[in-house]
Amino acid sequence: MSEPGAPTPPEGGGKVENPRTGGDYAPSVARRYALAQRAGGIVVPLLTVILAFLIGGVVVFATTGSNPISTYKAIFEGAGLNWFVEIGSYELRLPFTDIHVPFPWNVDDIESTAAFNLQQTLINFVPLVLTGLAVGFAFRCGLFNIGGQGQYLAGAVIAVWVGSELPGLPGLVHILAAVVAGALVGALWAGIAGFLKAKVGTHEVISTIMLNWIAIWVGVFLFGLGGPLQNDTQPFVPVSNDILDESKLGILWGDPVLQALHVGFFVALAALVVYWIALNRTTLGYEVRAVGYSPEAARYGGISVARNYFLAMAISGLFAGLAGAIDIVGWAYRINTNDVMISSQIAFVGIAVALLGRNKAIGIGLSALLFASLVTGTSTRNLDPEIFRPELASNLTLLIQGLVVLFVGADVLILSLLGLRRRRRRAAAEAVSE
Amino acid sequence: MIDRLLARLPHGSRAFAWTGILIGLLAFWVALPPLKIREPVVPAAIGLIAIALGVWAITQGVKRLGWGAIVIGLLGIGLGVLATRSSVAHLDQVVVWSALTAAMLRYATPLAFAAMGGIFSERSGVVNIGLEGMMLSGAFFGILGADKLGSWPLGLLCAAAAGAGFALIHAFFAIHLRADQIVGGTAINFLALGLTGYLFIDVYGGEGTPPDISDIPDVHLSFLESWYFIGPVLGQLNLMIWLAFLTIVATWLVLFKTPIGLRIRAVGEHPRAADTVGISVYKTRYVAVMLSGILAALGGAYLSIGFVNSFNQNMTVGRGFIALAAVIFGNWRPWGAAAAVFLFGFSSALAQRLPAYSESAAVLFQALPYVLTLIAVAGVIGRSIPPASVGRPYQKQ
Amino acid sequence: MDERPVLELRGITKRFPGIVANDGVDFELRKGEVHALLGENGAGKSTLMNVVYGLYRPDEGDIRINGKAAELGSPKAAIESGVGMVHQHFMLIPVMTVAENIVLATEPVHSGILLDYAAAEKRVQEISTRFGLAVDPRAIVQDITVGQQQRVEILKALYRGADILVLDEPTAVLTPPQAQELFTIIRSLTEQGKSIIFISHKLNEVTEVADRITVLRRGKKVETLPAAGATEQGLARLMVGREVLLRVDKTAAQPTKALLSVEGLTVEDDRGIEQVRDVSFEVKGGEIVGIAGVDGNGQTELIDAIAGLRRSKAGKIVIGDEDVTGDSCKECLDAGLGHIPEDRQRRGLVLDFSLAENLALHDYDHPPASRYGWLYPKRLIEKARMLLQEFDVRGGGPHTRAGGLSGGNQQKVVLAREIDRNPKVLIAAQPTRGLDVGAIEFVHRRLVEERDEGRGVLLVSLELDEILSLSDRILVIFEGRIVGEFPPGVSEEELGVAMTGGGRRAAA
Repeated sequence: MSEPGAPTPPEGGGKVENPRTGGDYAPSVARRYALAQRAGGIVVPLLTVILAFLIGGVVVFATTGSNPISTYKAIFEGAGLNWFVEIGSYELRLPFTDIHVPFPWNVDDIESTAAFNLQQTLINFVPLVLTGLAVGFAFRCGLFNIGGQGQYLAGAVIAVWVGSELPGLPGLVHILAAVVAGALVGALWAGIAGFLKAKVGTHEVISTIMLNWIAIWVGVFLFGLGGPLQNDTQPFVPVSNDILDESKLGILWGDPVLQALHVGFFVALAALVVYWIALNRTTLGYEVRAVGYSPEAARYGGISVARNYFLAMAISGLFAGLAGAIDIVGWAYRINTNDVMISSQIAFVGIAVALLGRNKAIGIGLSALLFASLVTGTSTRNLDPEIFRPELASNLTLLIQGLVVLFVGADVLILSLLGLRRRRRRAAAEAVSE
Repeated sequence: MIDRLLARLPHGSRAFAWTGILIGLLAFWVALPPLKIREPVVPAAIGLIAIALGVWAITQGVKRLGWGAIVIGLLGIGLGVLATRSSVAHLDQVVVWSALTAAMLRYATPLAFAAMGGIFSERSGVVNIGLEGMMLSGAFFGILGADKLGSWPLGLLCAAAAGAGFALIHAFFAIHLRADQIVGGTAINFLALGLTGYLFIDVYGGEGTPPDISDIPDVHLSFLESWYFIGPVLGQLNLMIWLAFLTIVATWLVLFKTPIGLRIRAVGEHPRAADTVGISVYKTRYVAVMLSGILAALGGAYLSIGFVNSFNQNMTVGRGFIALAAVIFGNWRPWGAAAAVFLFGFSSALAQRLPAYSESAAVLFQALPYVLTLIAVAGVIGRSIPPASVGRPYQKQ
Repeated sequence: MDERPVLELRGITKRFPGIVANDGVDFELRKGEVHALLGENGAGKSTLMNVVYGLYRPDEGDIRINGKAAELGSPKAAIESGVGMVHQHFMLIPVMTVAENIVLATEPVHSGILLDYAAAEKRVQEISTRFGLAVDPRAIVQDITVGQQQRVEILKALYRGADILVLDEPTAVLTPPQAQELFTIIRSLTEQGKSIIFISHKLNEVTEVADRITVLRRGKKVETLPAAGATEQGLARLMVGREVLLRVDKTAAQPTKALLSVEGLTVEDDRGIEQVRDVSFEVKGGEIVGIAGVDGNGQTELIDAIAGLRRSKAGKIVIGDEDVTGDSCKECLDAGLGHIPEDRQRRGLVLDFSLAENLALHDYDHPPASRYGWLYPKRLIEKARMLLQEFDVRGGGPHTRAGGLSGGNQQKVVLAREIDRNPKVLIAAQPTRGLDVGAIEFVHRRLVEERDEGRGVLLVSLELDEILSLSDRILVIFEGRIVGEFPPGVSEEELGVAMTGGGRRAAA
């Protein structure tokens, strides 16, 4: 991206022609974030977050007169992060083994409010990581996948259906079937947008948003009164069947009767690794990144831009569909028409997660944790209404999300102003030679 | 004058393709009131003619329109046959053309405002994905203003101010900070959603807006009321709908017939060239983006004050994006976008009346406008030409 | 020619981060003179003129117009002071008409608000006749020829009352005959009292059209001298500071068999218009074939078709022994094609990739760089280290981001990548555009080396010098057809004639 003070490098000289004849509607997103990604570090994202929270605090104070500090503290507690405050010497049993290792926190505590809240946070962490990875992967190819909501929903719907039918399958197989089916349908849903982009150049923002709404209405139709997937036992409740017990994921931590943290947690962590590997150690990742940074140069190098657009969207949808499926087999177990609209909104947070995390695996992991805390901490069940009204708080989350997204766009500029003088010197020297 | 008009009509194979499209529509229409033909053969046959014309157009090289004719021919057959299978009573209930048209105008109006706003912004080179958020802000602040300040004109003013405010944020980040415009627009949508939801609950709590807020009046044209068809459609339309028409015309005038419009377009095509003749690229873009915010907000205000007379969180449900799609579909021209907006409005109107036909399927029909939008942008974008510098931030030296 | 200076620049200094583009430059323009500003790429000519036109603010120094101090803080201020500029890359809006482009920002209106198109067209006709520059006010800019576009640009400046005209590399897009026409226009303008600054790096033109010449080197003014009596060699020495090889040393070509063969090729552009018409030629191993032509005569589409980036409508393309007609870009590259694209920053390199990743752009999908889809970055880096050393790339190592290198080094990376693949045929499109002399020498030398190794080289360039100095055979392309084949000893005039259709003067 051009630096301030340096003229645009010369293009082809000569005849003035309209440079566009259709296709690329707006310049690639990935290139603009290349600078930020390369700069790495945690400072600027941290500053972004602090700034967003600051402004959020101002809004809180200005509108309700509440003390923002105590509000944020209440959110902190609502997220269960205060569980980490109690450090002692406890033991942790490694999963699937009998080995005990010393661990500073009390994992046997599954009942205290802090523990319960933390479990909720981690439960939210899972889909946020996955939808963040979805958005991030698409971004790396220069595409903006806003369709996480629809893809999540598609995954969830299929998972519910597969999970509640076919009784008698062994547990692991059934779970795998539901989850894999969910991921694939998510990939398909996103693939539609990817296909349109590849073939015709349709801008993915518009196509994915339309697909979101189509998914929502199809979902409402399927589980509504008289709909084909409405449950068999309560004809007046617009809800799906419960998934069978064998399709439910195992519990990691917490009380199974209430919502507890499920094995999907590991799936999320594994997904982070898979994401990194896919982008940095595979030829597919190489192509995706090349297309994201410079579709023209990739094309001249023999890479098929259209194919990568499609694959990137499909893989993106895979992650998002996986999120929906895991949520179902992990804790939701059913969908009702109300959920169709509400639960899938988690996918939008994924956008902020990806952007704040600079579309990198580590960043996405950390920012998913941040936003999971925010989402859980402000939810109706967890936030102390004496301190702050939860309905207000969930909108506060939206505000903070919006601010983060807004600032991420601008901090690229801050970065280029602050440092990296060497590169600017080069670019200026180069550009001045006309 | 007539020659110029005739010269602009399509010729040759393009004319055939367009005829194919019209005939495809005809295939569906013959099964509906007032004709209500009952034999499925008829729409099928007509549709086949449309498809044939489409195929022929493709062989003559007119690909996009040709495919359009084929798709519409198929749709015409499908829908026409479906219509012949449903009962006459149902048809009469659902397809009341005058009511449908009036409803189409009502649904199209917010889209029209937002689309015209989108055209200004995009023509100046700034992508405005935040139309949705600006519309929503207009909806909320419009009704808030009408409620607290007591009159709908003041409400509209508040709405415009809110739209301008969000537009200013978007403009600043996109123009001055040269941030990514699509991400910025998305941020605006989040912010608007959060802010309007927050304030809505803060001010109105759980009960929602009061029922007696001053609403935008309808315009009674009594001399029209007795006219066949036109009477029920145009005789009693909301003021905003008329304003929407005016806005479309004004947009066309300003953009193509005034110096300001020329400069806006110049800035959107080749900002450097405009800069070198002394036009302020930044200022022009700011004006265009603020205008788009104001117009989108007015569209949203119509939704809340003029149409349903209340506010719900996220009540725009994606309309801002449909408006953007209309801009693209209409090739960044006011009349094209207007046509698209009427199409989408029509689909919403139809979706509204179809519950009379089938309860649960009615939910599916809610998806109709979105499906249509998807088809529209899928079929069009590859060949349409946006303003050359749209989405690229300009760098002043 | 009057002795009074119309424009005086004193001690102009302009700095960008890390570089001083203009360093204490003095410049003086007399009324009615044609004053050439000469220097190689990066010398600071364009920067200086951008200061005059108000696009840049000088850090030091002052400007006087007609003896009075002038604050040229913006193009608007410059226009008001009587300065007009015709940029190297035209500042015209392609989709608008000539009249709209000319009157932009000073549009005539009627009834206070509405554009008066009739008045605009009339005004354009008036100045067009007054200065003898024929244009059609209603024509759409992207449909007219380059020469006509240039005239529109000049009219734009004259319409705003420019007395001082700055022409930035105006002949870059013209054939020699068209350049002659331009010179005639320039002389007629000076006769009408206009003063002209002519920026160029073409020595022969500068000696022909200018009255005085100022040479810039690395931001400083070297000398101002009268054009009469200046020699090309002398000017070149002033420009570069040392003796310059104006021609590349090479032995005679020893062509072997045909490695690239194109038959009856017809290619359409994105709008469906034929840009390449029934073109046939061969490139043999061991020779450099140069394609000369004015920009926009089909060169881009020709290269795109050969490289598999564009489907040809008719014809056959054979690389080595393989028929690659209709194959994808990757298949063409695999068949033995090397391609140094025209725009190294947009098409040649992924600027945000490291050098190692860029060098792997063709190899990443087979061993040793990868196996079954799994990438081995270490091997990429090793290979990059080797190549960077062999091609003497400075400014970074395998991990450096490609965008951080200078233009010359970037081009070396592109060359390294293409040549390392051992292609049968190497296409070089504008390989030295925007490079400084040292880099140009390197690229030319390397291309000749590759020719001597037995590869076939197809050179497509807009710089006649380059074509003449490198090619063993010269083909001229005009309006999509090959209209002539010439030996390397051909004169520029002859080439120029062929480039405009062989004696037929285009309407430009």
